[in-house]
Amino acid sequence: MHVVPVPPVFDDRGVDAFAQGFGEWPPAERVLLDARGTTWASPAGLTALLTAGQALIELGSSKARLAVPEADETRSYWARAGFFHHAVEYFDLIGKIPKRGIDPPGDLLVPVTAIRAAEDVMAVVGTVQEGATRILTTELELEAKATLGFAMALSEACQNIVEHAGTGGWVAAQTYHWKRRLGRKVVVIAVSDAGVGFRRSLESSEAKRVGERWADGAALESALLHGVSRFRDPGRGQGLAGIKRYLLRWRGKISIRSGTARLSVLPEWDDDVPLAEHLPYFPGSQLQIIIPAQEGQAR
Amino acid sequence: MMERIELARLVRETTPSKYHNLVTRPMGAAVRTRVQERISASPHPTTHLDFASIDLLDFSCADEVVAKLLLGDPGDRPRFVVLVNVTESHRDAIEQVLETHGLTVAAISAPERRPCMLGWRTPDLVAVFDVVLELGAGDATRVADSLGWTVERAADALQSLALRRLVQAASGTYRPLPLS
Repeated sequence: MHVVPVPPVFDDRGVDAFAQGFGEWPPAERVLLDARGTTWASPAGLTALLTAGQALIELGSSKARLAVPEADETRSYWARAGFFHHAVEYFDLIGKIPKRGIDPPGDLLVPVTAIRAAEDVMAVVGTVQEGATRILTTELELEAKATLGFAMALSEACQNIVEHAGTGGWVAAQTYHWKRRLGRKVVVIAVSDAGVGFRRSLESSEAKRVGERWADGAALESALLHGVSRFRDPGRGQGLAGIKRYLLRWRGKISIRSGTARLSVLPEWDDDVPLAEHLPYFPGSQLQIIIPAQEGQAR
Repeated sequence: MMERIELARLVRETTPSKYHNLVTRPMGAAVRTRVQERISASPHPTTHLDFASIDLLDFSCADEVVAKLLLGDPGDRPRFVVLVNVTESHRDAIEQVLETHGLTVAAISAPERRPCMLGWRTPDLVAVFDVVLELGAGDATRVADSLGWTVERAADALQSLALRRLVQAASGTYRPLPLS
C-alpha cells in the first residue's frame, strides 16, 4: 500500500504536494490517501481529491482508500459541501462519515458537482442563478453585470471538461474572506477533470508548430494565451478567451494546471508566478478562477 | 414586414428549465437549427432574432446561435438578420465571437430603438450605417454629400455594408433593414 499524504491545508497550491506524494504515475501499488490530518480544503482541493480517485479507477487500478479527516468540523464541512456523496463511488472510505448535512455551508456557491455532459453544465448554471446570485450581489457587492459574467465563466469552465477532457470532471465554488492576503472577499471556482490534459488534447494540431518547446506549459500557453483549440472550427477556443476578458475587467485571476505545468493570468494583487513547469505530474486538468469583491466594497 | 423569432420560446421548447439560458454548444446548435428552419420557411427576407427574456448567453452559445447563423449559407435569396432586445451582457458575448470570425450584425439594445453594429467594424462602416438609417434609402452620392466624403469612399463602405447584409442593396440604391 502506497500512502499519499493529503496536505493539512489543501488548496490549489497544495495540489503540487499532493501530486508529489504519488511518486510515479500511475502508482504501482494500491494507494491510501491520508487526509486524517487535513483541517481545511478549498474547492480546488476537494475536486483534486475526486480527480485522483477517478483517474485511478479509469486506469484500471485498484480503488484507492481514503482516510477521512479526523477533525469533526472538517468532516462535517466536506459532507455539507457534497464531497462524500461523490467520494463513496471512487474511494474505500476509512473513518466516520457524517450524513450529508441538511444545510449546505452558507458561503458555498456551488457544492461539489459532477460534470459529465452539457446538461450538467446547464444545471450548475441554474444552481448559481437560484442561490449564488444573492451571495454575489449582497456579500461581494458585485454588480448584476459581474454576476452574469460569473455564471458565464462558470459555464465556459465546465464546458471545457465536456468538450476536451474525454471524461467527466468536477466543479465547486465558494466565497471566502481573504483578510490577510487581499483584505477582501473573493469567489473561488475550481474545475477539475481526470481527462487527457491540454498537451494531449492539442498535440495533433500544435506540437509540430511549437516544435521542441512542446510540453504541458506550451500547451497551456496555446490554449489560454492564444485561444487555440483542438477543433478546426475557428469559433472554438473562445470560452477561455471570454473568461480571461471577464477576469481582466473584474481584476480576477485564472490559473490552469495540467500534467506538470501551471499557467496563470495574474492580477496585480497576486504574487504567483505566471508559468510553473516541472511540477509533479497530476492527471487531467485543474482550473481555478478567483474573483475579488470590488475595491472599497465587501471588506 | 419581417419574421420575428423569440429565442426564449425556442429555449423552452429545447430544454425544460425555468431559466431561459442560452448556454453550452449543444443547446446553441439545437436552437440555431430551429432558427434556420424558421428563416428558410419565412417569406420575409429580414428576421428579427429576439433576445428578450434570455437571462444568460455564454460565449459558446453566442458562437453557435449568432456567428454560425451569419456564416451559414443564405440559400437562393438574400437573408438579413437583426438582433433585438440585446442586453449589455448579451452584447459582450456576441461582440467577442463576431470579432473572432470577422463578422458583423445589426442589433437593437433593450432600452433603445436605434440599431447599432456589433462585431467587426471600421469607423467608415459605422458612419455610413448611421447615415443610411438617418436618411433612408439612397445612393452613394447622397451618403457622400451627407458625410463630406468622396463618392468612392461612400460607395466602398456601402458595398461592404451590403456584403455584410447590414443594408439592402438594389440597383445602386441602399436602404436600411426593416426595424419594426
